[in-house]
Parts: sequence; C-alpha cells; structure tokens
Amino acid sequence: MLKIAIVGCGKIADDHAAAIQRIPDCEIIAVCDREPLMARQLMERFRIARHFTDMAALLDEARPDVVHITTPPASHFDLAKLCLEHGCHVYVEKPFTLFHHEAEKLVALAEKAGRKITVGHDAQFGHAARRMRALVASGYLGEVPVHMESYYSYELGQGYARALLGDADHWVRRLPGQLLHNLISHGIARIAEFLTTDSPEVIAYGFTSSFLSGIGETELIDELRVIISDKRTTAFFTFSTQMRPAIQQLRLYGSRNGLVLDTDQEILLKLRGGRFTSYAEKFVPPVLMARQYLSNALTNLGTFMARDFHMKSGMKYLIESFYRSIVNGTEPPIPYREILLTSWIMEAIFAQVQGPSARNHKRMPEPLLAAGSRVRQV
Amino acid sequence: MTRNDTFLIGQDDLILVTGATGFIGTSLVSGLLDRGFRNLRCFARPSSDKVRFGALAQGHPGAKIDVVTGNLLSRADCLSATRDAKLVFHLAAGTGHKSFPDAFMNSVVTTRNLLEAIGRHGCAQRFVSVSSFAVYSNMQNPTRRLLDESCPVESRPELRGEAYCYAKVRQEEFVIEHCKSSGLPYVIVRPGSVYGPGKAGITDRVGINTFGMFLHLGGSNSIPLTYIDNCADAIALAGLTKGVDGEIFNIVDDDLPTSRQFLRLYKRNVRRFRSLYVPHALSYTMCWLWELYSGWSKGQLPPAFNRRRWNAYWKKTRYTNDRLKTRLNWVPRVATADGLRRYFEGCRQSHA
Repeated sequence: MLKIAIVGCGKIADDHAAAIQRIPDCEIIAVCDREPLMARQLMERFRIARHFTDMAALLDEARPDVVHITTPPASHFDLAKLCLEHGCHVYVEKPFTLFHHEAEKLVALAEKAGRKITVGHDAQFGHAARRMRALVASGYLGEVPVHMESYYSYELGQGYARALLGDADHWVRRLPGQLLHNLISHGIARIAEFLTTDSPEVIAYGFTSSFLSGIGETELIDELRVIISDKRTTAFFTFSTQMRPAIQQLRLYGSRNGLVLDTDQEILLKLRGGRFTSYAEKFVPPVLMARQYLSNALTNLGTFMARDFHMKSGMKYLIESFYRSIVNGTEPPIPYREILLTSWIMEAIFAQVQGPSARNHKRMPEPLLAAGSRVRQV
Repeated sequence: MTRNDTFLIGQDDLILVTGATGFIGTSLVSGLLDRGFRNLRCFARPSSDKVRFGALAQGHPGAKIDVVTGNLLSRADCLSATRDAKLVFHLAAGTGHKSFPDAFMNSVVTTRNLLEAIGRHGCAQRFVSVSSFAVYSNMQNPTRRLLDESCPVESRPELRGEAYCYAKVRQEEFVIEHCKSSGLPYVIVRPGSVYGPGKAGITDRVGINTFGMFLHLGGSNSIPLTYIDNCADAIALAGLTKGVDGEIFNIVDDDLPTSRQFLRLYKRNVRRFRSLYVPHALSYTMCWLWELYSGWSKGQLPPAFNRRRWNAYWKKTRYTNDRLKTRLNWVPRVATADGLRRYFEGCRQSHA
C-alpha cells in the first residue's frame, strides 16, 4: 500500500485526490497547505486522516512514499527538492519548474536519490492519446514524424482576464513566462515527446490579443505562435485565447500516414497517406472519415458505460502508471528527457517573447542554445 | 458627531462594506447613504467597476465614500480596510462555481482574515455576515413546512455537490465560533433569491437550463425572492438596529410568486422559450438516481444532483419574514409585483 501526501490544497488538488482515491493499493494519508483552513477543507471533503501546515512536519511525521505537489509553480522546485531529500517519490503539477536549470537539478537529484519524479502532463494520457501512442509505436506514421502541429487553446473568460488585469501582483504575472508559463506545458510536451534531438531550434512570436488590449492590458501575452525544428522533424505550436473553436489538438504527419488527436473530444483520426484513383478521392475518404468519427463516438460511449470516462481520466492513468513504476522499479511514464526538453523549449519561448524588448519574433539567444548541449548530457 | 439614537452607530461613524461593487453591495451603499450615513469605506477587488461610487457621492453632498481596492486574502489589506470601522458589512464571497477550494478560499479564508483584522483594531461594534438560504438543509422538514431561522443547516454540506453551499455553511460556522470566542458582536443574514435589474437569468429554484431545454422543477412551490432594494434594506437594518446581536435573519419578500407564476410572467415579459415541467416525484427520483450513479461510477458524473439538493431547492416549502419585521421593523420598500416588473424590464434590456 503506497502512502500518498498532497501539498497545496487548491483547485487542482481536488482532481488529484479524486483520481488517487480511484486507484487501488494506495491511500492519501495526509495533506498540507500553509493555510490551515485550506488543508482542513481538503481533509474533510476527502476523508483524509491528517492535515499539516508545515511540509517538513508532514514528511517527518506522516512519512509518505509519494508526494503530489499541487502548489503554485514558484514553490515547485523547493518543495520537490525537499521531498526527494526525504526519500519520497514526487509528482509535480505542471509547469514542472520556473526555470530549466531547476528541472535539471530535480531530475539529477531524483536519479541520485534513487527516487522517481514526474510532471502533471496528464493530457497526454487520455484514452485517445494512448491509442495514438500505440499507433505511432506500431509504425503507422512511418519513421519519426515529418511535421507536427500542436494547438492549445484556452478560453480566457472576462472574469479571469479582469482578475489578472486588476491585480498587478497576481502570481501568474510573477512567472517568468507569465500567463503562457501557466498554460502552454501540455501543448509543448506533446511536441517534445516526438522530437529526436535535445536542442531543437525555436522561433517564437507572441503578442497581446485585441481582447486583452481592449480592456487595458499591455504586458500579458496571450497569443503565441512557435516554430520548432530539429534535423528530422518540424513542428508548429499555436497557443490562443481568442481562436474559435478553442481546440486542443495534435496533428502528426509521418512519411506514410498521419494522425489527428483531439484531447477535448477524445478523438483519434487516422489520415491515410495514399490517395484513391480519380474521382474516388472525392467520395471515398469522406465516407471513411465519417466511419472513423462514428467509431470514436462508440468507443467513447463504451468507455463511459464501463465507468472509465472521467473528465480527468488522463490524470488517473498517469498517476497509476507512475505508482506502478515505483512499485515495479520500472521507468516512469514520462521520460526525464521529455520533461527536460519541455522545460527547455518553454524557456526558449519565454526568452523570445516576454519583456518589452522581445515582442516580435527573434531567434533563440546563444546562452539558451548552449543550454541545449547540457540537456543532451542528462 | 451626529447620532441617531435609533441606530447602533452615529452617522459619521465609519462603515466598511466588503463586496461593495457587487449586486447587493451597490444597493446597500446607496441605502446607507440615503439613511444619512456619511462615512463609508467600500472594499472591492482591483478589477471591480468603481465608477458608480462617484455618481453616488455626487448625489449625497457631504458624504465621504472611500473606495479601497485590495484582496481579502491579504491580511495586510484586511488590516487597512478595517481600521477605525465601527460597523462591518461583509458581503464579499466566492461563488466558486464548481470549485470547492475556490469557493471556500474566497468565503471562509477571507472571512477569517477580516475577523482577525477587526479583532486587532478592536473598535467594531458589529460584524454583519451575509450568508444565504443555500445553507438550509430542509431534509428533515416535511413538505409544505415553514422554513424559518430555526431550521437546521446542512450537517454534511460537502455532500450537496454545491461549492457555494459548502463555503457558506463553513463561513457561518467560522463567524459564530470566532465571534463567540472573541466577543465581537455579530449578526447573520440569509437572503433568499435576490433579484432585480442587473441580475439576468432565472434562479435554479424555478428550474435549470440543460441540453437546450429548460426543465421546470419548481411547479407550485413558492420562490423565496427578495428584491434587491428590500434585501439591502434588511441587511442595513441588521447592522444598524440595536439589541439584535447574535441573531440570524432570513430575508424574503411578501407575496411570493409560485415557480409556475414566475416562469409564466418571465416568458410573457422577457422572452419565449421552451420549458418542460418535471413533477416533483419525478425530479426527486431523477436526483436520487443521479446520486446513485455518481457514487457507483466513482464520480464519472459529479454529484451535482442529489436528494440533499432536491430538498433544499425543489421541495415544497413555505417561507416567512416575521423575524425581520418584528425584530428589525423591516418593511419591503418595493412590492413584489413592482419588483418583478422592474426585473423583467432589466432582463429585456440585457437581452436586447
């Protein structure tokens, strides 16, 4: 029985607690938050035995096997380091850390301590995403993807926008990548999974949407377009708060076939690489595509009927896989290389688009390109 | 200093209103100015619309409206907001929508910060906590029973599947416990469904809009409406009236319409839409089945509908404002018929 603790009792901690309680052979033994009332409410609602306001006390007294860090990003590094030093395995919510060098230190520390660490890129572990991974592994695309397109949209509501606008000290503003830092991890990680080198070229262009500028915002960037390229694969990343429909998709194009993954709709579509003869190309593919949509709908319905279609099913799968890797001593579900590459690409993007002097697209600064060589050594 | 002996504080004493830019807060501030109180501090989030206070100040020469922006999650902001305040109306709350932690943090943690700050200054003569009808359980009450201030609140609010209810129950508990231990005089008010121009939409007590269809669940139930100005009057009196410390007041108007009457009038006066009446026995069964499925599927569908919620929202219940009238001498300023007319007019304009 794995003993689990959660530190940070805000909104996302609810999703963690609910997912963990659906996993056999583990138990949440304690929660922790600097705000005692918040710790108590999580403990009460999920019927957890103990709550703490001091992380060191939790580690010393409750002695968890795994700690889930669900605090705001600025505290991820220090808390994860503390947990690893106490011999715990660690699940860190996204974004993994504020800076790439912190990500490197955590991974190195986990390896040195013989403990496992992972990041909450749970969107990569939904039902359709797992089907996609299996197809890619079977060689459906050909070799590595020739090109990828990752779309990550976020509907920025008036309430959230005004809260950000009105609060010059909002924690999101204090992140190195501000709003983008809190939101783009999932979309970047999808690309990082399939890149073959550890230091791709990154060209980023970011700007403030007309919606935000219309209500007086001048600093926050909420529209981002990125080109990522290594020697064999290119990728476009689009983050938008204004684009409709607000999609969350990954499109993979290989040398043989392509795939479209929609994580919102839990849909996976196969794109045939070949063509039909003459007019058949106009009539047969739409029918085949309709059949695929129907098949996806039936698959989703079946999963729902089997009581395995929770809104955060990817999170449960990721957590369960992480625990299994701990118990069985196998590789964690997200390779460390992918965690580091994601943080590296994000840092490269922020270096180009954040700050008044970097509003237009620029090439990645040399120091960051140099940092890429460090990644390869991990 | 001017002092009206009817009231707890003088007209130049400082009154703090949190959530002052909200739907009720704006009306409360206006009502306090109309009663001759000239020293108001309005606490609002930085993102709130504060323009309206300028117009209010112009309409009340000699009145001082100090608009303070900040966050009640900040103890420093609470400390500066409560300095010298003789009376505190605490309206700010987190609805949280579906997020329990958000609702809890913006209701309970903020209230704790505010009460601690008040305690440090030690000058407040009363703390008025604005709660809600949502806290009532109504599980044990038989159908058609009168719901008054003596009725029990939810003992397990986390099972209601409603973040707002959970936060409000815990907020009330905190206020009572803290005020009793610290000796700070307090009053709790529980408004029903507050309506008026500026508030769009139909209360869940009438029904819910789902999958493109409005399910009418209220039927012949009375809807515990309170018009915004009447509600603000009641809150003001709960703060100002002497000798009511430690009491709780429900706020509902007279001549409450039934759900069916309300819906008919809404359709006639605002817009036409399709609705489907769901009899009480059926809606109760559906809520029960939903609750069972939610548990069986380990939350694949969240427990948004359950028997606790049905009892609180859709059980046939009668309401009273007797305590409000006898203890606070409250009289509804706006008759329900007139209030509904103004509300529908506001809805028409927002739909236009």
